[in-house]
Amino acid sequence: MFPKRFVLKRLLLLVPVLIGVATLVFSILHLSPGDPALTIAGERASQEFVERIRADLGLNDPIWVQYVDFLGNVVRFDFGESYVINRNTTVREIMANTLPVTLELALYGQLFGILFGIPLGVLSAVKQDTLTDHTTRVGALAGISVPIFWSGPLLILLFAQVLGVLPTSGRISSTFSVSPIRVTGMVTIDTLLAGEWDMFKSAVRHMLLPSLVIGVYSMALISRMMRSSMLEVVRQDYMRTARAKGQGAKITVLKHGFRNALIPVVTIIGIQFGGLLGGAVLTETVFAIGGIGTLLVEAIEVGDYPIVQGTVLTFAFLFTLVNLVVDITYSYLDPRIQQ
Amino acid sequence: MSSRDTNVSRRRFLGAAGGAAVTVGLAGCSDDGGDGSDGSDGSDGSDGSDGSDGSDGSDGDDDTSLLRYGRGSHSSTLDFQNSTSGEVAKVTEQIYDTLINFEPGESTLTDGLASDYSIEGETASLTLKEGVTFHNGEEFTAQDFVATYRRFVDSEYEHYAGDDYVSAYGPFTLGNWIDEIQVDGDYELTIQLTQTYAPFLRNLAMFAASVHSEAAIEEYGTDLSENAVGTGPFELDTLDDSNEQIRLIAYDDYWGDGPEVDEAVFVTVGENSTRAQSLASGELDIIDGIGAQSSQQVDGADGAELVRTEGINIGYMAFNIAAVEEFQDRRVRQAVSHAINTEAIVNQLYSGFATQASQPLPPNVMGHNDDIDPYPYDPEEAQSLLEEAGYGDGFSFELATFQNPRGYNPSPIQTAETVASNLGEIGIEVEINQQSFSPFLEYTAQGRHDACFLGWYTDNADPDNFAYVLLHPQVDEGELTEDQDWVSFDAEGYNTSNRSAWANQEYMDLVEQGQQTTDESERASLYNEAMQVAHDEAPWVYLDYAEELRGVADRVNGFQIAAIGGPFLNLVSLE
Repeated sequence: MFPKRFVLKRLLLLVPVLIGVATLVFSILHLSPGDPALTIAGERASQEFVERIRADLGLNDPIWVQYVDFLGNVVRFDFGESYVINRNTTVREIMANTLPVTLELALYGQLFGILFGIPLGVLSAVKQDTLTDHTTRVGALAGISVPIFWSGPLLILLFAQVLGVLPTSGRISSTFSVSPIRVTGMVTIDTLLAGEWDMFKSAVRHMLLPSLVIGVYSMALISRMMRSSMLEVVRQDYMRTARAKGQGAKITVLKHGFRNALIPVVTIIGIQFGGLLGGAVLTETVFAIGGIGTLLVEAIEVGDYPIVQGTVLTFAFLFTLVNLVVDITYSYLDPRIQQ
Repeated sequence: MSSRDTNVSRRRFLGAAGGAAVTVGLAGCSDDGGDGSDGSDGSDGSDGSDGSDGSDGSDGDDDTSLLRYGRGSHSSTLDFQNSTSGEVAKVTEQIYDTLINFEPGESTLTDGLASDYSIEGETASLTLKEGVTFHNGEEFTAQDFVATYRRFVDSEYEHYAGDDYVSAYGPFTLGNWIDEIQVDGDYELTIQLTQTYAPFLRNLAMFAASVHSEAAIEEYGTDLSENAVGTGPFELDTLDDSNEQIRLIAYDDYWGDGPEVDEAVFVTVGENSTRAQSLASGELDIIDGIGAQSSQQVDGADGAELVRTEGINIGYMAFNIAAVEEFQDRRVRQAVSHAINTEAIVNQLYSGFATQASQPLPPNVMGHNDDIDPYPYDPEEAQSLLEEAGYGDGFSFELATFQNPRGYNPSPIQTAETVASNLGEIGIEVEINQQSFSPFLEYTAQGRHDACFLGWYTDNADPDNFAYVLLHPQVDEGELTEDQDWVSFDAEGYNTSNRSAWANQEYMDLVEQGQQTTDESERASLYNEAMQVAHDEAPWVYLDYAEELRGVADRVNGFQIAAIGGPFLNLVSLE
């Protein structure tokens, strides 16, 4: 049975969260120093030129008028036009270009985390207190502790410079032009859809290091969670009963233990996705992948308010949405949550 | 029933999820091994090591020569009337032409779309080249220039791009100076200026004065960025914002030299060190925006070299003479200039990629006075000047600085700390106020600083672009006070680019004359004199002239590093 009431309640809760974020972003930007009109006009502009821009942008309106306008536009997912980075282009259009880039990176990072984190966690729990367990745990701790801005350049140095087997940066070789085959904006998927194998190969090779860097953190967290959850489950009565009934250890662990231990891990995977979006900012910078993270950092630096507002709200929206999906999945897996 | 159903499906789900995770996990492991064997078959490895990554592009034509230019920022717009950004200029210089060009690697002028050009009094006359075609096949005529100009500055024009669209270069470069444009036939242009304005021809060489096709203006309006139609050596192929790449293809009917390659692509790699690594591993052919650290990477790389040349810029510390009483005494400004060890700043903090400055004009600009040396580091002289001025016990002031590196000041915070430490030795206490660039510009443009760092990259390599733009107050005479060489930031029409509030009558007279003198040697001597005044009066502490640095792969031939007007990719060929 689909938990309609629960989902509806959670959806309604999204509204105040997003209004809160919107208000916070608006306030921070308007309280921080820096005049957008001056930013747009640049150093060469006369005072009159700056004034004209200020009036055009409605920056002379009272703050509450600007706020109401802003909220009204946010509801329509309209964040206005970029001030500096891509003048006279809507933020929506700009994000349509950059969001898939970040999502692709986060997805591969997540995939990497799941693919390696879960088996490692299981392995670690099954072989508790052995060398394998200790190695995995130390590895996981290291994975969480090593910052991306350090591991990224180091991996580039190793794989691109020393070994020369992978490219240093970007999403695809500059030999290829992917614009004509753009469908989703995710370059590995678009090249695959178009059946361009050489391009696909290039895209995958470019994606390897960034997903590794961003995925290691996720892998470490997932494996730790998987391990502790697995250990807890192994001690449950039904596990003992299964063993008492004469079921083999392997089957007991995989069939009964693993399934149940997966429930809290699903939650972690969901929350982790939000973290990945944040981690994408650093990874994108190191690997020169121009996603929404890079866009946000650049927008903050140059004072491009509409882009800052648009990206932060989109991040918040995605984060809450992913959490909602996790909650729904969780409640589906464990109906007690709905109560 | 439903509860049982849920149970069953939940079990199935978990089973499937668990099974899938384990299976894929195992597959991931074996895949890993597979990758290893892939690598060992050598195909991937060789791709990576030659770095071109293009050998895996079997569908790409192997005979196609592709020039890859790496830089720090992408330019989303390719309309030179929509931006003042240098990043935009790098690309539009390839697609478009100006009537007059900068000589590659020099700051002198040469013909562009105009074969002859001259300026006399308030009139500039130009004869345009015949037989030049736009990328859409149409012939270039004087009407194209007129339409381009009107789209930029004439709000009465049907295709005016709009106040919210055009960049500040509209009025700054053309609008403020042009009174009327007369066209005689298809190839003769006479431009009436609002006043005698010697730098005008140089303004016509700026990227913002490039020429759109009239037909394209009428067809695309403000959508010219993705539909760029120019007369330049390269045509726009794709503007890819997602991948931050701009791909250009050679224009076969280009009227000038080159292009020597079939395609050129601008690739964005934000991190300096990653960009340098990409050059070293052969993924890029030319890179710019190199800091001291990444220049070492380039220098040490096999297959690439560091190319450097004098830049046309200045980094300085401006005294806000209007705000700080002590700075109103010339001797105090000179004392500070003597007390700051600019030689150490340039050689140590800027790693020798800059030279000590002595005056507002850099050496490669007409009017630079070769007889002036930088203020020598001399704390004793500084102390005695302070005492002479009556400030022997010192005083304190705030030094505003931006935080992030800029070309003319690659280490702003360390520079500020050096200044504070140097001045501490002569009893002047400096409080550093660091801000990010945008608020910093606003803060200092309002004259709220005591002193600030700033700098300037030239627009047109004309002395006026430094001397008048940065140190002339540009206010009516009524705003000036006799026997006072400064003016308030609040004065009507004050030029806020003059962050020092300096208003020295002798200097102003000289640069005004310089602006209105078309004879080159006469102009040069006027600016020589103005530079002497600016040096002696010291409204700024002259810090440095930064060099231009590029990383160039060995397979690149014919690349001419240029401080203005470039990059000249049409002259580049590949081995």
